[in-house]
Amino acid sequence: MQRKVVFSGVALPYALLAPQLAITLVFFFWPAGQALFMSVLQQDPFGARVVFVGLDNFRAVLTDPDYLASFWRTVYFSFAVTVLAMAPALLLAVMADRVVRAAYAYKTTLIIPYAIAPAVAGVLWLFMLNPAVGVLAYLMRTLGIPWNPTLDGTHAMLLVILASAWSQIAYNFLFFLAGLQAIPKSLLEAAAIDGAGGTRRFWTIVFPLLAPTTFFLLVVNIVFAFFNTFGVIHAVTGGGPAKATEILVYKVYYDGVIALDLGSSSAQSVILMAIVIVLTAIQFKYIERRVHY
Amino acid sequence: MRFRRLLLGAVGAAAIAAVLPASAQQKQPIEIQFWMGLAGASGELLTKYGNDFNKKQNDYRVVVSFKGQYPEQRAAAVAAFRAGNPPHIMQMFDAGSGDMMSARNAIVPVSEVFKRANLQFNPGDFIGPARGYYGLPNGDLLSMPFNVSTTVLFYNKDAFKKAGLDPDKPPRTWPEVIQAAQQIRKSNAAACGYTTTWLAWVMLEQFSSRHNLPIGTQQSGRGGLNAELTFNTPLHQKMVQTLVDMQKDKSFDYGGRSNDAAAKFISGECAMLTQSSGGLGAIQRDAKFEFGTGQLPYWPEVQGAPYATTIGGASLWVFNAPNRSADEFRGIAMFLDYMRSNEVMVDWAKQTGFLPATNSAFKAMTEEGFFQKNPGRIVPILSLIEGRPGEHTNGYRFGRWTEIRDVYHEEVERALQGRQTPAEALHNAVRRGNALLRAFEKTAG
Repeated sequence: MQRKVVFSGVALPYALLAPQLAITLVFFFWPAGQALFMSVLQQDPFGARVVFVGLDNFRAVLTDPDYLASFWRTVYFSFAVTVLAMAPALLLAVMADRVVRAAYAYKTTLIIPYAIAPAVAGVLWLFMLNPAVGVLAYLMRTLGIPWNPTLDGTHAMLLVILASAWSQIAYNFLFFLAGLQAIPKSLLEAAAIDGAGGTRRFWTIVFPLLAPTTFFLLVVNIVFAFFNTFGVIHAVTGGGPAKATEILVYKVYYDGVIALDLGSSSAQSVILMAIVIVLTAIQFKYIERRVHY
Repeated sequence: MRFRRLLLGAVGAAAIAAVLPASAQQKQPIEIQFWMGLAGASGELLTKYGNDFNKKQNDYRVVVSFKGQYPEQRAAAVAAFRAGNPPHIMQMFDAGSGDMMSARNAIVPVSEVFKRANLQFNPGDFIGPARGYYGLPNGDLLSMPFNVSTTVLFYNKDAFKKAGLDPDKPPRTWPEVIQAAQQIRKSNAAACGYTTTWLAWVMLEQFSSRHNLPIGTQQSGRGGLNAELTFNTPLHQKMVQTLVDMQKDKSFDYGGRSNDAAAKFISGECAMLTQSSGGLGAIQRDAKFEFGTGQLPYWPEVQGAPYATTIGGASLWVFNAPNRSADEFRGIAMFLDYMRSNEVMVDWAKQTGFLPATNSAFKAMTEEGFFQKNPGRIVPILSLIEGRPGEHTNGYRFGRWTEIRDVYHEEVERALQGRQTPAEALHNAVRRGNALLRAFEKTAG
């Protein structure tokens, strides 16, 4: 039985939608429009000299080796963050689902990290891993590991990947747990009766039925890794050392706010928006087919 | 029905209440927006000066706000200017000066502000290096120097004692620093010998001034927007090579691009630190060891060295806006006049590690014996006045300098990582920096 809410007139539904539409208009469409407008201009920061340059900004950005390096770095970074945020979350959800005693306590503890803002999570990890004053860094020094994210690019990348993935695990955990609860127990019981072990049951029954959740989380995690990780990078490494952690969204910020090169920054912003739109469209079109409802 | 009447009555009463006080009151003080970029104790001090000014008179009310660190604040000011409502006064850091100076329609030179308000203003009262940095060839000042700092060397006296070095003799030359750092590492008096904050400011800008080397052509950018960078000389390469060599055995340990390395010194990890003189406050408060102050080291083989260091810190810029009244400009002038008075300058210099920006403030502090009671505080001033003045000790004037500093940071970091030689690093930095200067020339010229 499907329950649909029916409204008597049109005024109320529109009025209820209005705040959200207003927010989307003001905080997305307007700035996006501005970015599109500024991406075809070249101007000094204070707006005294404005020159229309067509697609010059885009051309300059796409032929810039630094931008292309940043692009591949972002691909690597989002892949790492997505995998690191989803796999442990799935494992934890499966485990938490089986627990009966104090289940609520486990679940609450595992969800709490999501309430922490990414920048705060970044600073948290920075304090633990700071080469000069960090607890974990001290531990690593005593173990003989030369941990130095200030100078070593790989260490810095590892640090921001960890900090970004950590806060996302909780979010994924929540959704995986809900997804697991929607799987009919009867299917699993039938498989157990037929002699399927735990792992077999998981991969042949649970995982395919989790597909809609997994697909949804894949999209969300990739978009998160592309955009929301700005806070972590800005708070922890500032894109360094030597551009090791300069991902596309950070480059947009740096070129716009620090370098005050508004044309290039707007062009990069438009390209980033196009990338995410294409990604989401591809995923909805192709992966949607494989999803079994 | 009754509710509607009640609502109407309440709204009417509120409207009357809003109008009444305005008509009963005398003229409201004109608001002057002052954006500053200092957090912590220094920021609180600036807010206090704003409040003190407000208490002294009734015509103007200065509102001091912190809009984020200098780069974010500058972006906010740019946005505000484009919206037609920039702050009246903004504190802008040294590296941003070049960008501000090219924005001639956006700012009003400070000398001009005082002239319009008919207030006496003597640019000559500001210390020489500051006048050279923020001034025009005819002696007028574009912005008002306020928090002035220079680079000093802090060193851990306890670590020196442990390593068998004389705790009362700070190293004066780079060979002495290398030797002290190696001795500290050998005797394990500290985990690292030397580190530095603000890599580009110390190793590029101050270093060049200390040895009277230009950073670029056209008097390091003052002569025109078509200047080219020239900081890839053999001596610059030698400095980077020294850091690369020292990094190998932790005689030098890289501490990041901005202020983070100070933590390495305060925690006792590194025994020596080159830092802004403004960093003294944090060290005094948190260091658990005895420390001393020395001047920025130099290479003795350079003829005439050590030359004077240059200044860092920030200055106060006045924004232009189409609807800004003469009254507001007068208020700005009055507040700036207050800020440059001995009352503020001496208090500011005493409480923070920043230097007295005016000669009269310096004189007042000397006369009351402040430097005798606090011998470490005279060191930064000495490095400005004791060091020989040269043609290249007046700083630089380049647009997009924040970005160029980061280019320098990136290239030197690659050299420290062993991925390129110091020569390659500096050549790359100059090449990339020049590209940025040409782009700046196109939009600002």
